[in-house]
Amino acid sequence: MTHNSKLLNIEDLVLHFKTLQGPVQAVDGVNFSLDSNRAVVILGESGCGKSSLARAILRLLPRNAGTYSGHIYLNGNDIMTLPEDDFRQTIRWAAISMVPQAAMNSLNPVIRVGDQVAEPAIVHLGVSKADAISLVKKMFQHVGVPEDFINRYPFELSGGMRQRVAIAMALVTSPMLIILDEPTSALDVLTQANIFNVLKRLKKELGISFILITHDIATSSELADDVAVMYAGQIVEVGDTYRFFDHPLHPYSQKLMASVPRLHSDKEPEFIVGRPPSLINLPQGCRFADRCPARFEKCVQNPPVFEQDGRQVKCWLYA
Amino acid sequence: MSAESLTANTESAPAAKRGFGNSAAMRMVKYMGLRLLTMMVTITIGVYLTILIANMGGYVDTIMRNEIRDSTTQAILANPQFRNLTPEAKQELIQKKIASEEKRRGLDKPFAIRSVNYLRNALTLNLGRAMYMTSDHGSKEVRLIILERLPATLLLAGTSQLLLFFGSIFIALSLSRKYGSWFDKLTIALSPTSAVPPWFYGIFLILIFAAILKILPFGGLVDVPPPENSFDYGLSVLKHLILPATSVIISAIFLSIYNWRTFFLIFSSEDYVEVAKAKGLPPRDVERRYILRPTLPTIITNFALLVIALWTGFTITETVFVWPGLGITIYRAIGAYDTPVIVGSTIIYAYLLALTVFLLDFVYALVDPRVKVGSESSQ
Ligand SMILES: Nc1ncnc2c1ncn2[C@@H]1O[C@H](COP(=O)(O)OP(=O)(O)OP(=O)(O)O)[C@@H](O)[C@H]1O
Ligand code: SF4
Ligand SMILES: [Mg+2]
Repeated sequence: MTHNSKLLNIEDLVLHFKTLQGPVQAVDGVNFSLDSNRAVVILGESGCGKSSLARAILRLLPRNAGTYSGHIYLNGNDIMTLPEDDFRQTIRWAAISMVPQAAMNSLNPVIRVGDQVAEPAIVHLGVSKADAISLVKKMFQHVGVPEDFINRYPFELSGGMRQRVAIAMALVTSPMLIILDEPTSALDVLTQANIFNVLKRLKKELGISFILITHDIATSSELADDVAVMYAGQIVEVGDTYRFFDHPLHPYSQKLMASVPRLHSDKEPEFIVGRPPSLINLPQGCRFADRCPARFEKCVQNPPVFEQDGRQVKCWLYA
Repeated sequence: MSAESLTANTESAPAAKRGFGNSAAMRMVKYMGLRLLTMMVTITIGVYLTILIANMGGYVDTIMRNEIRDSTTQAILANPQFRNLTPEAKQELIQKKIASEEKRRGLDKPFAIRSVNYLRNALTLNLGRAMYMTSDHGSKEVRLIILERLPATLLLAGTSQLLLFFGSIFIALSLSRKYGSWFDKLTIALSPTSAVPPWFYGIFLILIFAAILKILPFGGLVDVPPPENSFDYGLSVLKHLILPATSVIISAIFLSIYNWRTFFLIFSSEDYVEVAKAKGLPPRDVERRYILRPTLPTIITNFALLVIALWTGFTITETVFVWPGLGITIYRAIGAYDTPVIVGSTIIYAYLLALTVFLLDFVYALVDPRVKVGSESSQ
């Protein structure tokens, strides 16, 4: 198929968590792809499975992980089949790095931040400690952390600084793909803008691709080439940013965009009635059906993904 | 290099002032002095309380007085030398003897004064003479009674507890890696075996290995008579050590592994451990730097408490194995109201505890950057 030309191509990715109530289907058949030197933003309500998707890509499975299946092609190679140790050496941080959602807690309290940022460079680039440290200083400069902070411990840094350090850590090995899970949630607007400028520059200069998970739709449009909308463990729409922001296709995306408050607008922000379905008891048909204003007979069946001018949408309206 | 670095520099103010300057050294000395002082106060109070309790607020005095009266009266009435004396003269002699005996034991002064004397002696490690007990060599010196028994206790408790401690941490760490595995479940299933005390396993082990298989001795510290050459002596002690140490280890190992495993499981789900794995660090580095290193303070605390606990020995296990340890001695001292021995062992215990806590403070500061010695007390 086409997965050879893509940087990342995800097919039918599934990650369930075992709980006493039954499996939580946090990632349930996700398909999407990403070219190199592109950024996709993943939008979706809290709890729809965005962070779980990020974990599934990096094979960071919690102890109660259940079903974990599908294909993840990175430059055409299915990394799902890699043995654990190969995966660790060739994928984690070597090819794909990440800024975790709890970036502030992602630093070991008893190791100096400089050393923590240097670690992946030493392990994956095989550089000496001294070279790694000078690399760290460069990354710190990129994200706006003073160089002398390398000797500090995480508790001596503010939350925002720790978040920047986490971003610097994701950059240090210059991977092909960086997954950012709400990377700027603890930062002020000015710093957020700075970070996004840095990311944009890195994308242009180094050709790095990004998967950006965020609730901040406005800021994300700066960086993102594509938008993917996630609902109840599945991707329901993928398309280019420009057309997506102009007119989203999926009824859920339309509601989501309409719920963003806008300055200088007479329109009240809308909200979506009801709540997303429980990921333990998912409905048979379209998962959005309960809340969808456009629902019709067909919707009791699970909709496939339809192509619409190069955009994909999982909704019977576009059959 | 534009606004990015500008916004950042506002934070460099509380810059990393590490490395010990002059003021830091001064602060350290002041802090240590303060710590030593508070420790001495704590020890003093603790030991004084022990003296009060061991004397039961003077009740022991009454027991002692009665006992002196009885034994003196008996001795004089039974002595044929005094048979011709008049009852009055006998009575007088008895009173005199009692008075001198009470004076010898210090009972003529009020308890309040005596307790302070006890305290002073205790704190200067002048542990005095036992009331009833004697050491195996016939001495009544409390110090000798305790010191004589200490090596055997330390040998048994030290060997078994150290093996137990490091063994269970090592196994627990590998179990936490294999959460839910067959061996993990087995350990959990076996952890109730620790509800049974070591001496119980001891009896079984003696039955199997000494009585039936006849490959290990029933008890004692060393063969009788003890081997002449010190190598053979050591070998003999080792042979005698196997069963008691094994029973101590068996009785605690599964619960201990289970505890540490749970502890490591909790700490290996910290976000930074996950990130360390995501970074592709080798599993050994993740374990060493991201699980063990941050939990080192807790591990060290447990270790220190264990070292202190070694001192008390295992009373019943020592009895079952006829192991000449301190456990039996203290147990007998309590049964016999032998105050000097009880106080003596407590005071050594208190000093040991205080010393450990004092050292721990500095070890914490070494292993955990969040702990800074003396930073609070100087403000
Ligand atoms: N280890 C786990 N065990 C059981 N359920 C889990 C586990 N991790 C996540 N979940 C559940 O899976 C669902 C998806 O979680 P996830 O963290 O991926 O959501 P999210 O889209 O990132 O949300 P947010 O925007 O709030 O970060 C949630 O319902 C969550 O409760
Ligand atoms: S498939 Fe039907 S219910 Fe689902 S989003 Fe489309 S129109 Fe709404
Ligand atoms: Mg999330």
